[in-house]
Amino acid sequence: MDRQYWIRSKPVYTSLMWHEKATAHCVIAAGDGGMEVLKLLQQKYPAQPVTGFFAKNQKTLKDYSEVISRLAPDEFSVFANEDAAIDSLRNFLPNCYMGTRFYVAGSEAFIWSVAHELANFGVQDDDINKQLCGTLARSVYCVHCKTVTHDVTHNIVECSGCQRNLFVRDHFSRRLGGYMGLMIDAEEPGNVPPIEEVYP
Amino acid sequence: MSLTFKKETFRDDYTFYNSPAAIKRFPFPFPEDEYMYSVNIEPHVKTQPGSVTEFLLDIDEHYVAECADKEITLAADPERFLALPHMMDAQWDALELIMEAMSNDYPDQFTLTKDGSNWHWTNKPLGLSQKFVFGDPSTLPMEPLNYIGRQVQGDWVLLDQRDNNLFADCAMVTSQADWSLAIDVGMSFNEWHGPVPLANETGVFDRALKYLLNLQLGSPVRRLNWTMTVNPRMDTSPENYPLWGPEKVTVTPENVGEKVHLRVELQTLFRLPRSNGQAFSIRCYLISLEELATYPRWAKRIHRVLKDLHPALAEYKGLIYKDMVVDWLSKYDDGAPLDTGTHPE
Amino acid sequence: MSYLNVKVAEIEQVTEVVKRFSLVDVNGEKLPSFSGGSHIVVAMDINGRTHRNPYSLMSSPEKTDSYNIAVRKQEYSRGGSVFMHEQITVGTELQITYPANLFSISKLGRKNILIAGGIGITPFMSQIVDLNRLGTEYEMHYAYRSPEHGAFSDQLIEMCGEQVHFYIESEGQKLDFMTLLAKQPLGTHVYVCGPEPMVDALVAAARELGWPEKHIHNEQFSAPQAGAPFKVKLAVSDIEIEVPSELSMLEAIEAAGVDAPYLCRGGACGQCEVEVLQCDGQIMHNDHYLTDAEKNNGKKILPCVSRANCQNMVIKL
Repeated sequence: MDRQYWIRSKPVYTSLMWHEKATAHCVIAAGDGGMEVLKLLQQKYPAQPVTGFFAKNQKTLKDYSEVISRLAPDEFSVFANEDAAIDSLRNFLPNCYMGTRFYVAGSEAFIWSVAHELANFGVQDDDINKQLCGTLARSVYCVHCKTVTHDVTHNIVECSGCQRNLFVRDHFSRRLGGYMGLMIDAEEPGNVPPIEEVYP
Repeated sequence: MSLTFKKETFRDDYTFYNSPAAIKRFPFPFPEDEYMYSVNIEPHVKTQPGSVTEFLLDIDEHYVAECADKEITLAADPERFLALPHMMDAQWDALELIMEAMSNDYPDQFTLTKDGSNWHWTNKPLGLSQKFVFGDPSTLPMEPLNYIGRQVQGDWVLLDQRDNNLFADCAMVTSQADWSLAIDVGMSFNEWHGPVPLANETGVFDRALKYLLNLQLGSPVRRLNWTMTVNPRMDTSPENYPLWGPEKVTVTPENVGEKVHLRVELQTLFRLPRSNGQAFSIRCYLISLEELATYPRWAKRIHRVLKDLHPALAEYKGLIYKDMVVDWLSKYDDGAPLDTGTHPE
Repeated sequence: MSYLNVKVAEIEQVTEVVKRFSLVDVNGEKLPSFSGGSHIVVAMDINGRTHRNPYSLMSSPEKTDSYNIAVRKQEYSRGGSVFMHEQITVGTELQITYPANLFSISKLGRKNILIAGGIGITPFMSQIVDLNRLGTEYEMHYAYRSPEHGAFSDQLIEMCGEQVHFYIESEGQKLDFMTLLAKQPLGTHVYVCGPEPMVDALVAAARELGWPEKHIHNEQFSAPQAGAPFKVKLAVSDIEIEVPSELSMLEAIEAAGVDAPYLCRGGACGQCEVEVLQCDGQIMHNDHYLTDAEKNNGKKILPCVSRANCQNMVIKL
């Protein structure tokens, strides 16, 4: 629906692969990101220590926590939800050394929440392996009332803050972890284009 | 230099207009009959007296009114000024740049006296006087760019240079052509240019970035950018689109000459000394089509540019009334060849 | 390109081979402020030809009444360091560029490890002033041949206190990169400046440990190397020039009256990059800017430091 060109602000996600050169590895995953963890565990296991954080997520179809706990019990800790996993990660980071490689898998909102925690420790997001798993739903930042509306799968959404009809642009802010939402019918109130599911 | 500051508004009743002198010195951006993006960067050298590029920073008859409009925007939305924590050095660099330029080039209006780090700044048109210690944020009523950004025309974006890239990590933005600081703050050069169409295809931004990474201290550069606005509105931010969006559909063949304005940005880039960052000043000039038509050469030129403008550009610049504009301008165009150059006559 | 006109206010013999020069504005005004790690390019007239060499600013960015640079007398040089040591006296006037910075401290770093070998200490001197002012955590590790070669070590102790560590080769003190880098906290950046083998070893160690590239910084100016003379045709200016052995290609182009762009003069910034339209021999790339692919391709050259071994060369200038 957005213009037919690739917006350079949209992040590009890649499959997780162990870095050969590292001092240690730290994996943080949630929900459908569990599958990505299993794919990592299928690769040649790294020589350096691995520490993993896995958060269960109500919205996913499959719960990977049991398999992960069975396959990598010494490395992975399982958490009931994403906040708990991130809290634990926050306490772990002061013990990490330079040379620790970071891998994150989950929804886009989860990925950038983790990226913000890592940024507090000087880890830049380009240096984090990130893979988007499960839903493509977007967090939308309304520029008018500055409210974030989560889990948006459509191209147009009613703002949870000001109720305006927002067109969700593909222009992504890493700082906010969300996409720009702009009123769609300011010029002709009520004239809202068809609402389509574009990011299920 | 004698400057008479006008009392005028850039919203609501829109009393803004350009005096004949302001019209004549307007930075008309089209040297040719066709327009496409280019890396049209040139050294920011001083040009002839009276022109908008006579000095490092241009203060004109709209100065007091624009500063007042800026204050209204900032009061309603303080997040039009944002600064990431590591940008304090850059803010001081920018404050020094702005205060020195204004006091050097407009000594009747602005003064800056220094006693070591103890500085005293006075701003006669706005009736301000401030003593402070350069480098000590506690001696200013607000952060350095927030303080001085309200006393200079145009938007200011401070860029951090790192990893062969530029990042918009601090800015005061109140007269932008439809981009959001809240979204864009912290973005890299390519990220914030993301929404611009044809950017990838023409390679324009890659070349521009490479050039800007080597921007030298003491050698600022500039370029012109343009779009159009309905009514002389400074604040055409996405944030306030619900306010100005409806105005776009009020253009009629009868009022198009009066309502539609050419909006030109004089963009200047300065290397900053202590932070090694860059200051990007975006100085906005507005002129109605009627005022522009004071000089038939300009009316002809812009008629041709708009008539053949690439549709993607027209769409991106939001020129939904373009056909009406082209119709209105057509009466000034006799079709005869026009030499290159942006001069009015 | 903008220039500053300065004169030499003071010369100090710091070690047997290192001299410090203090430069002031010819009109006595303050020189421009700058960021730690910056360098200037000094123009010198050697036997009627203009050479330009980059030197790091080692003075305080907060006190710009003067700029300080340090020059090590090189055994195998084209004459630049010899010229500075032997021809410059107090009162000599020089033309310099405004400061430029290709070795800046990242503002996102939470800790900085600074590593210097020999005369490579100079850019850190101004960086440390900034780091002290900002209160950012750092360590300065300075390796040199023998006690008498430790230029500025007293000044460093004064500036850094316990944060400076010295490694004197003649006394068997060795700086072990793997040990130094192995247990640094997240968000640390490492900066190295010194002889090429030292820089290469540090970069290799950091990479081996898994440090991301963005956290590894090195300043490497090449000095233009002397080499066999060769001819170049400038396609756009339509002239042919001869590059003598003691001039760089860029200097020869400038001597012919062609105004070519440049910035660092040390093969690091890419500003002088020019397209090679034709070359029937071998280009000797001495820069640190072009990628390996670009160097192999042979279609680009950085004339400030690189040369060619050929009969026919044509560049787009």
